[in-house]
Parts: sequence; structure tokens; C-alpha cells
Amino acid sequence: MDNLLAARALMGLSLAFHILYATIGIGLPLLLMIAEGLALKTGDDSWHVIARRWIRPAGVLFAIGAVSGTILSFELGLLWPEFMAFSGPLIGLAFSMEGFAFFTEAIFLALYIYGERRLSRRALFLCTIPLTVAAALSAVFVISANGWMNTPTGFRLVDGVVAEVRPLEAFANPAWLHEAVHGTLAAYVATGFAMSGFYAATLLRGQATPYTKKALTLCLAVATVFLPFMLISGDWAASFVARHQKAKFAAMEAHFQSSAGAPLVIGGWPDPETGTVAYAIKIPKLLSVLADKDPDFVVKGLNAFPAEDRPDPRLVHPFFDLMVGSFLLMSVASGWFWWLRWRQGEVTVERKPLFLLLLASPFGMIALESGWMVTEFGRQPWVVQGYLRTTQGVTPHGGIFLVFTTFLLVYLALTVGILRLLLYPGQKGGAGKGSEVHHG
Amino acid sequence: MADPLLLSELALVLGLVAYALFGGADFGGGIWTALAFGPRAPEQRDALFNAIGPVWETNHVWLIFVVVTLFTAFPEGFADLFIVLMTPLVLALVGINFRGAAFAFRHFGRQSGREAPLSARVFEVASILTPFTLGMAVSATAAGRITLIDGQPVTGIGTWANPFTLMGGVVGLAICAYLAPAYMTVRVSGELQEDFRKEAMAAGLALGALTALTIPVAIYQAPRFALRLISSWPIIFVALAVAAGVATELLLWRRRFVSAQIGAAGTVVFTLAGFAAALNPDLLIGQLSLAAAAAPLPTLVAYLTVLPLGALILVPSLIYLYWTFRGEPDPEIPPAGSEP
Repeated sequence: MDNLLAARALMGLSLAFHILYATIGIGLPLLLMIAEGLALKTGDDSWHVIARRWIRPAGVLFAIGAVSGTILSFELGLLWPEFMAFSGPLIGLAFSMEGFAFFTEAIFLALYIYGERRLSRRALFLCTIPLTVAAALSAVFVISANGWMNTPTGFRLVDGVVAEVRPLEAFANPAWLHEAVHGTLAAYVATGFAMSGFYAATLLRGQATPYTKKALTLCLAVATVFLPFMLISGDWAASFVARHQKAKFAAMEAHFQSSAGAPLVIGGWPDPETGTVAYAIKIPKLLSVLADKDPDFVVKGLNAFPAEDRPDPRLVHPFFDLMVGSFLLMSVASGWFWWLRWRQGEVTVERKPLFLLLLASPFGMIALESGWMVTEFGRQPWVVQGYLRTTQGVTPHGGIFLVFTTFLLVYLALTVGILRLLLYPGQKGGAGKGSEVHHG
Repeated sequence: MADPLLLSELALVLGLVAYALFGGADFGGGIWTALAFGPRAPEQRDALFNAIGPVWETNHVWLIFVVVTLFTAFPEGFADLFIVLMTPLVLALVGINFRGAAFAFRHFGRQSGREAPLSARVFEVASILTPFTLGMAVSATAAGRITLIDGQPVTGIGTWANPFTLMGGVVGLAICAYLAPAYMTVRVSGELQEDFRKEAMAAGLALGALTALTIPVAIYQAPRFALRLISSWPIIFVALAVAAGVATELLLWRRRFVSAQIGAAGTVVFTLAGFAAALNPDLLIGQLSLAAAAAPLPTLVAYLTVLPLGALILVPSLIYLYWTFRGEPDPEIPPAGSEP
């Protein structure tokens, strides 16, 4: 593995790992806030119990999120120093603001988790508000950096050197808004579904307690409320990409030849050699309609770009379809559940819909990761679209493969540790202690 | 009014000092968990462990603050440093990760009534590895072994592993080991307080001896740094650090713990300020000035605008956090209910 490939693999691995924990770090605070708010408003203490039961796994997952985020901030310099020397003055503002948001998040999470004996119930609830807001803002801010890599603005290039820097303009780059909305709301969907899966599994094991039903209802309600927004913001994102990042759009849709009345390609395996997509379903003219609401609109294909500027559709199109497919699966699973909830008047215990829900539960995360793959692989070979190639951003320091191997082992060790803890929480002693001192 | 470059430099130093004062004390907790001895060793370990719980993630964010300040305000320097110092930084990162994870795993494990000896060991080892390697990386900027050719740094083990950076690593450890027990004396009482008092005094002597030894090492191994430190105004910070250190020992001797806590923090602030003052006006001594490493002016101005706005939210939140968790550390995190 050469240095560049090792650096890309390590950055990809680190981000893929961090995204899982960061997503829970954004989604769970909202659920905590709603549960604590319901407990205060309705006087029904079981909501509080639900929220407090989340904090143990939450503490571990947040900690992993924090340290894996530190790895990323270091890796920007360790792997991509030339990229950072170029971009630091422009995306630094986004990271600085994210830093403050993360600070706030860490503080109020600690207050919420550890504060039960020292704070009133109202104060605990109030802590979840800045926690939720700061968590969402940290995503919104940091996504600005990614938006800038896709649509770099706020500077001029004079003899290969960044000049006339306008950091606020770089921060509010054109791609930021739709990426921020789409990416942040996706965290609520992903967290809500992941947690619904846990409770669906509990119901499937025959433990249909009112507690489980309540928790499932809350988690899935949050996920379902945000699900339509994924479609709306996703369409917004796609139409933006169709106008401003035409090469990425072509790779997403596996669209090789520029043509009017372009078909929408669903599934299949794109072959850049022949410019065809094997085993795909094609819907005539739909791509043109989606791109510009005009069935005869000319959609640029990958062939419109020089070979050295083309992203590889094999790494983009399948992930795009996986993201859309995940959305459909989650829609069906949650739709069935709420239909039965409405018909039966309470949470269903039928096996089939619960099993479908369990099946769909990881797909929020899968969709989020896939969407991120689409935006990253779709921008290649650029790290800063149109200005800096990925090959130009990498460190001149050798031995990155060794660093890659080191962190691969770190992530494996962390994953094994987390799985051991979450799957075998060691009931001995713990359960008794917990139920004995329920509300402190 | 003030020069944006100077203010950005101060922000960087502030971040480093805050990380040492808060994050450093957490590492110190891990170091003394490893070193705990005597009849009350388990109680010492528990007190340290419980004190770190609510605050370590927040304290850790200061490191991210330093990194972000570095790449926003001094992107050239950030790039050069992270190319040359890859090995110690990777080691520090591995330590940071295992330490955070081990702490969280152990906490979680305890909550479910299960001790985790592996997590405890990992936590201790990582608490020693990280400050040592970070100390090496920070002091490497002053060692004078890093050279730039056509603006590109020359890599090699000698750039970050030499007698001066080894001293830097050990001083880093001593700073952490000094702060943790000094802070703990305020928070516990009785025999445990006496234990931490002795630990703080011992660590204070060690820190004093090590920083004193650093000066002759610097004269031979980092002469440019040594010259700037002892023959110009940065010597004031050396004097202040010595004075604060001696005063802290006396305060600990007389059991004036609240003042001693402030004295210990002051000692560390002056020590680091002396280092930064002697490194000034460079980021890489003799090779890259802070001015040359700095981002364009509009970036510095934007960054310096964000700082006070962020501080407006951050400072009250931090005060609320430390105020809430003042005093005797809770024996464990509050009840979370049993697993559903």
C-alpha cells in the first residue's frame, strides 16, 4: 500500500468510526431532552427512568466519540499537512466554532450524567437543552468545512497561493446549508432507528413491558418525524449537486454520456471502461426531470470531464443507491409500525412488523455512512474541489502504512471492548444495585 | 488596538496552559493511580478515579482547542510540526484513545458491578505515555533539531528524540503528577488529605529538580533556547516559577490547601510561560517564526472575533460544571437504573 492510499484508508477508517459515535452524540441528547421534558410535564416518572437508563451506554459512546474526534483533528495534520496549510485559514473558523460547541456539549453532558445527586430535576432537564443545541451546532459547524471542500469560496488563488481570504464567506459556502441540514437531521433518524431496533429486539424476546413500549414509541417517533425531512433535504442536496458539482452528480447516478432526456439508473454495477451499467434498472427521462424538472434537460455525463478529473462511479453510485434504499426500508418499517399502532391502539407485539423494524434499525447509520461516502468519493480526485488534488494534500512523511496498521488495531480493540460491554453488561450485582436506588 | 498576531499567540499559549492545568491534572490522576502505595492505596485510587469522572472530557477539549488554534491561526507551522512530529503525536493519540476508552469502560463496568483490571492497567499506562510523548513533542519545537529546507521540514528520529525532548517528556509527566494531588487536597479530608499532601510535596520537589536540570541540558543540547531563556526577559518567568514552587511547598507544609492549589497552578503557568517566552518569536526555534507561520490577517481577525463570543458561553458553563462537582467526589455515578 503506498503512502497516499494508506493515508486515505486511515482517514476513511477514522471518519467512518467517528461518525457512528458522533451521530449518537447528536441524536441521543434530543431523546434525553424529550424524555426529561415529558417526565416534568406529565409527572410520569417512567420517562425519567427511561432517560437515566440510557446514560450508562451513552457515557461510553460519548467518550469514544470524543477521543476518536481527537484522532481526526490530529490526522488532519499527520496525514494532510499540505491540505491544511492551504485550507486552514479558510476552514479554521468552522473548526473553532465547532470546538466551542463541543466544549459546551461535553460540559452539559457531564452535568446531566453525573449531576443527579447534585442538581434538581428541573436543572437536569435544563441541562439537556444546551446539550441538544450544542450537539446539533457542532455538526452544523463542522459540516461547513466539508461544504467548503466541495464548493470552495472566500479566497482567490494568486500564483498558487491563497490570497484575499474572506473567512466568513468560506464558512457560509454554498454547499454548507444543505449539507448541514441533511447531515444533522440524519443523525436523529439514525439514532432513533438504532435505538428502536434495541427495543424491538426486547419485545421480540417476549419482554413486552410498558417501559419497553414507551421507550420504543419515543425513539421511533423521533426517527419518523425526521424521516420525511431526509427526503426533502436530500432532494435539495441532489439538485444542488446537479447544478454545482456536475462530475459528482454524474458519478452518483452512474451517468456516463452527456445526454438529453437522461434516464435514472437504479442499482447495477457501473463499468468506467465501457461506460455502461450492468444489471441496472433504467427509468427513461427521470434523471433529467430530477436534475432540472425538464424531461429534455441535458445532464452532463462523466465523459464531459477530463479522465484525470473524474470520480470513480463504482465508489459513488452503489453508495448513493444504498442511501436511498435505506430510506425506503426505514419508511416501510416505521410506516407499518405506526399503522398498527393506530389500528391496535397500542404498541404492536406482532413478530413480523417488529422483525422488520429490527432489520431496518441499522440502516439509519448505514444511510449516513453511505451518504458521506458519496460526498467524499464523489469529490475525488480533488480534496478541495477544483483547486487542490488529494495527491497534493498528503504528507511527505513516509511510513503511513505503519500508522494505518496501528490505528486499525486501536479501532479493533475499542470495538471489541464496546461490544463486550454493550452485549454482556454483566448483570451480576449491577441490576440489584440499580433497582434499589432508582431515583436517588 | 492590539496586534492580531500577538493575540493569536496568546490564545495558543492560553490553550496550552489550560490543557496542562486541567487535562494535565487528569493525567496526573492516572499517574498517581499507578503509583499509589501504602495502607490507603485503594482509597486514593478511588478518590482520583471519581474526581476525574465528570470533568475529563471537558478538560480534554483544551487539546482540541490547541490543535484548532494552531491550524487556524498558524497553518504553516501546524503542517510542519505535524509532519516532523508524527511519531510522538501518534503515540500520544494512541494513549489518549486507550485512556479515554479504558476510563469509560471501567466506569461502565463498575456500574454493572464488575471490576475491570485490564481497563485499570490500560488507564494507568496511557496516563503516563500521553503526557510524556506530548511533552516531547512540545519541547521538540525548542530543541533546535528541526530544520526546514525550502520550507519543507526534514524528518528523522533525532528531530524529536534527543536529550532535551526527553527532559521535556519527563517534565510533562512531573507537571501532571504535581497538579493532581495538589488539587485533591482541597477535595478530600482526613488521612487521605495527608496522603495527597505528601504526594504533592514530593511531586513538587521532583518538578523543581527536573526543571532545574533542564537548564544545563538546554545549554548543551538546545543552546539557542537556553540563551533566550536565561539571558533575557524570559528569566523573569523562571524566577516566578521558582518562587511559586517554593511558596506552594511551604503552603502544603502548613496545610493551607486552598492557597497551595492556586500556588501549584501558578507554578505550572509560570513554567510554561517561561518556555513560551523563550521560544518566542518562533514556533520552530531558529527556523520558522510565528509571524511567518501565521494565517492571513482576515483569518486571525475572524478567529479572534469567535474567541470572545465562544468564551461568553464557555466560561459560565465551565464555572457551573466545576461548581457543581466541587468538594468530596461522589463514590460512583448516580443510579442509572438496571438494564432494561
